[in-house]
Amino acid sequence: MSEVALLENYLLVGALLFGIGLVGFFTRRNMIVMFLCSEMMLQGVSVSLVGWGRFHNDWGGQLLVIFILTVAACEAAIALAVVLTLFHQRGSLDIAVWQQLREENQAPHLDIAVPPAPIEDERKWPRLTPAGIEPDKDLQEVLHRSHM
Amino acid sequence: MTDATTILLILIPALPLGASILTAVLGARMLKDNSHVPVVVCLVAAFVASLMLLSQVHSSSAAAESMVGWESVTNLWTWASIPDAISTPAAARGVGEGGDLLPATLPFVVNVSLRADALTAIMMAMVTFISSLVAIYSVGYMHGERGYWRFYSYIGLFVFSMLMLVSVSNFVLLYVFWEAVGLCSYLLIGFWYEKPSAAAAATKAFLVNRIGDFGFALGLFLLWATYGTLNFHDAGGVAGILGQTRLANPELYVGGGTATATCLLLLLGACGKSAQFPLHVWLPDAMEGPTPVSALIHAATMVTAGVYMVTRCSPLFMMSPDAQQVVAVIGFLTAAIGGVIAITQTDLKRVLAYSTISQLGYMFLGLGVGTLAGITAGMFHLFTHAFFKSLLFLAAGSVMHAMGGVIDLRRFGGLRRLMPTTHWTYLFGSLALAGVVPFAGFWSKDAILAAAHERSGLEPVFEWLYWGALAVAFLTAFYTFRAVFLTFYGPERVPHEAGHHAHESPPVMTLPLVVLAICALVVGAWFEWTGGFADFLRRTPSLAYSGLAVEHGAEHAAGSHMLVAAISTAIGLAGVGLAAFLYLGDPAEVSSIRRLLGPLYWLSYGKLFFDPIYDAFIVRPLAGLSRLSYWFDRTVIDGLVNSVGRLTLAMAWGLRALQSGMVQFYAIAMLWGVVVLTMTLLIWPTLAAHWK
Amino acid sequence: MSALFVLSAIGAVSLALGLWLLLPRGVPWGKPLGALLVAVALGVIASLVPRLGAWASDSVFLILAAVTVLSAIATITFRNPVYCAIWFGLSLLGTAGLFLFQGAQFLGVATIVVYAGAILVTFLFVLMLAQPKGQAVYDRVSSAAFLSALTGALAVGVLTLTIVGVWRAEPGPSQVAVVDRAALDSDVLAPDHMARLGASLFGKQLLAVEVAGTLLLVALVGTVAIVGQIHKPRTGGDASHV
Repeated sequence: MSEVALLENYLLVGALLFGIGLVGFFTRRNMIVMFLCSEMMLQGVSVSLVGWGRFHNDWGGQLLVIFILTVAACEAAIALAVVLTLFHQRGSLDIAVWQQLREENQAPHLDIAVPPAPIEDERKWPRLTPAGIEPDKDLQEVLHRSHM
Repeated sequence: MTDATTILLILIPALPLGASILTAVLGARMLKDNSHVPVVVCLVAAFVASLMLLSQVHSSSAAAESMVGWESVTNLWTWASIPDAISTPAAARGVGEGGDLLPATLPFVVNVSLRADALTAIMMAMVTFISSLVAIYSVGYMHGERGYWRFYSYIGLFVFSMLMLVSVSNFVLLYVFWEAVGLCSYLLIGFWYEKPSAAAAATKAFLVNRIGDFGFALGLFLLWATYGTLNFHDAGGVAGILGQTRLANPELYVGGGTATATCLLLLLGACGKSAQFPLHVWLPDAMEGPTPVSALIHAATMVTAGVYMVTRCSPLFMMSPDAQQVVAVIGFLTAAIGGVIAITQTDLKRVLAYSTISQLGYMFLGLGVGTLAGITAGMFHLFTHAFFKSLLFLAAGSVMHAMGGVIDLRRFGGLRRLMPTTHWTYLFGSLALAGVVPFAGFWSKDAILAAAHERSGLEPVFEWLYWGALAVAFLTAFYTFRAVFLTFYGPERVPHEAGHHAHESPPVMTLPLVVLAICALVVGAWFEWTGGFADFLRRTPSLAYSGLAVEHGAEHAAGSHMLVAAISTAIGLAGVGLAAFLYLGDPAEVSSIRRLLGPLYWLSYGKLFFDPIYDAFIVRPLAGLSRLSYWFDRTVIDGLVNSVGRLTLAMAWGLRALQSGMVQFYAIAMLWGVVVLTMTLLIWPTLAAHWK
Repeated sequence: MSALFVLSAIGAVSLALGLWLLLPRGVPWGKPLGALLVAVALGVIASLVPRLGAWASDSVFLILAAVTVLSAIATITFRNPVYCAIWFGLSLLGTAGLFLFQGAQFLGVATIVVYAGAILVTFLFVLMLAQPKGQAVYDRVSSAAFLSALTGALAVGVLTLTIVGVWRAEPGPSQVAVVDRAALDSDVLAPDHMARLGASLFGKQLLAVEVAGTLLLVALVGTVAIVGQIHKPRTGGDASHV
């Protein structure tokens, strides 16, 4: 594969990663997923940078990616701390809870149709008695046994 | 010699200015009831300095053998300088012999330069003298007044402005101080600003003056466009409008329509400031101010600024005989109107105000005569009038002070025993005003009449003006003594407002009265007999102008002079006699005559109805127009502006939905922006290249 | 209008539609239809890549790229955030492979270690801490799904058009600059790759490294400060909603 073609392919992959991350960032409402998506966008940029670095035979691209890694780590730490704080306040990871940036008197943005929740799994699993505690006895069973 | 003149020139205006600032800064907190001290001290000092300047100018100008008088100009600093402001007009002229060539463009330079010449020295001495006396008088009159310090601060500022007005050597600065004295007048008329009538009078004075100042400003523009400079003196290689070069060569003045237009515009300015018909209406209302202010500003000094200006510009007026006739006619009309109205007024200060208007009209008549004799006569009348009119006002103030603020002639009378000093001084002033020999007014008024009479030989219009002026002299004597008899003679009547005040004023007030009374007695005769005034004044560059030298044989004048003097004296005495006959006699006779004259009396009593006429034909249409403009501005202009605002609001109302508070939308919008930018920057040229 | 533009447009539109359908919104047959459309779109976009015909030799790249992109799509389309994170991990692995394929050995490993090993695990930790029971409403709905998909596709389209279109329209300066294979082998692809990378990192970019270190420290302090506030009572927020 020629260097030019390789570069183009990498740029395309980078663009796709970036774009997909973008869509995810726009549309997902879970704050953690949003941050995953932003990390994905960073990955897209990293891919492009590495491609350019190879193409120009220069370390700059890779060095930049190293710094991107560093910054991403910082960002992740702070972002997660913020997410935790926000979650603590509202008990929800929903980004739509936080709409204070809107215009005054503007009605809050609500979701249109929420699809029904999937039917919960009805299967019952056997419950184990916690260790070291006398299990509750079934009265019927006890009675039945005594009759035997 | 020149150095001393310079120092005096700077010192004289600086003293009142310094006192004014000092009083303004310290008056309210520290000086309080002693606020008069700095101003009185500085004014007296300025008067002494003015006398020194006068003597210096006198000796210098007597020594100078120049054809065009003597002047000394001091440049202080350059206020404004704009290079290449005007392409050199045809009438602009270099200073050198035969007129040095000037560059294609001339700069607009305003130098703060003070001049000393005979006219300035006389005006300065007169202003500082009167203002010192008025300031001393006010110590008694204004005592205990709220804003005492404010009064003295204004007085100091006014005297400074007036002194600068008469001493600057540039039309722009003349205009500046012209406005400055107007401002002081406004402040002092509205001194009791809580009183609505005082506030209205101050506004009226200011607005009416605006009309005149508008004309004055236009006149200055025209002058600048014509001569390329606004300096009086020769400066910067350019011949000044009233400079030696131009005065020595009268053909350098532009004549014809330009001269007439310039002079009429300047005259409009003078009419505003000097209360000439048709802009005289503000002066009677200005009596709302404290009486010393009326004496100082609205009788003796500020209102003479117009006379001073026309005198200063007399070479310009010489170039336009039409304008001179207009000056004379306006002067006469004003004198007649003032006299007619003054006859029937019942307010003592108003009588004096109309008499001031009338006397200013006399001065303009003298200036309008246009000969050297006429102009010096006008200035002479200005000079003597300053003494006796301020005397009359101050005496009226003394009466008012004693009567507890009442000034209505119908409510008091026979005060001559109560207030002997005031009575005698007022009588002296009245005699001077009526033109009785040998009081000051006689000599100056007589000089004006004589000048008009001389000129009448050449132009018939002056014949009419001469006889008219004699008639006005009769009116003057009549209304003056009507006021005297009503106030000081007859049965003693004191209004109840006077209370225990009804006695002679304190010495601090009567002393200036006595000084002024002596002046009113001697100043005219002394100058007339020594002949010093005209001789000295003739050394002023403007008046030494060779165009004025068209004298009609001094010997011939002397003969007719005596005749004129005799006639005017007879007429003056007749006026006094008629007043005595009417007002010392039976009051019923007066009312029968009043009934007999009917509409004439009504016309005079209604002040010829200038105010209602102006109100109906000028003020109301203007108010309507401004209401229309207001409506237009509010509805159409503001409407447009507001519509733009409302449009923005409406659009914003629509766009507000975008501000949903969901940050993801913001990110989307951001990306759209990026996409559009990228498309524009990168894709578009590529596509264009494809489609080509 | 050039065929390139038409193809790009078709690719972008079908990508948008496919993504829109794939997003969790409860559209019947949404997922398979969306997957099909996305596949078509990717095919169209891939067809724009020059000399794709020689794909066999590039199969490694193709596989890596496909894994990366597809798992990225899976990342954003799965409802359960834990699955999202795991798909993202796979995508990261693909990226790391791409890095290795480019000869960026250190970066490949660092991506796995730092991202997959550290950051992703932190994500999962937080998810464990914060995730409510069952599937939350907000994981089952997308905000502005169509608009987002359209915008994302537009971005990709513009980027593709820029990358591909610019190269094809006229030879740019970068294309003309012939890369010297030997130089490449002796530098970026050299055996002592790590040493050289380290040399330039701690040589030319030393200051930047120091700054980055400071940044990490600041982030550490900041994180502690922010989390330390959690247990203090707070007021505010829009309590009226959700």
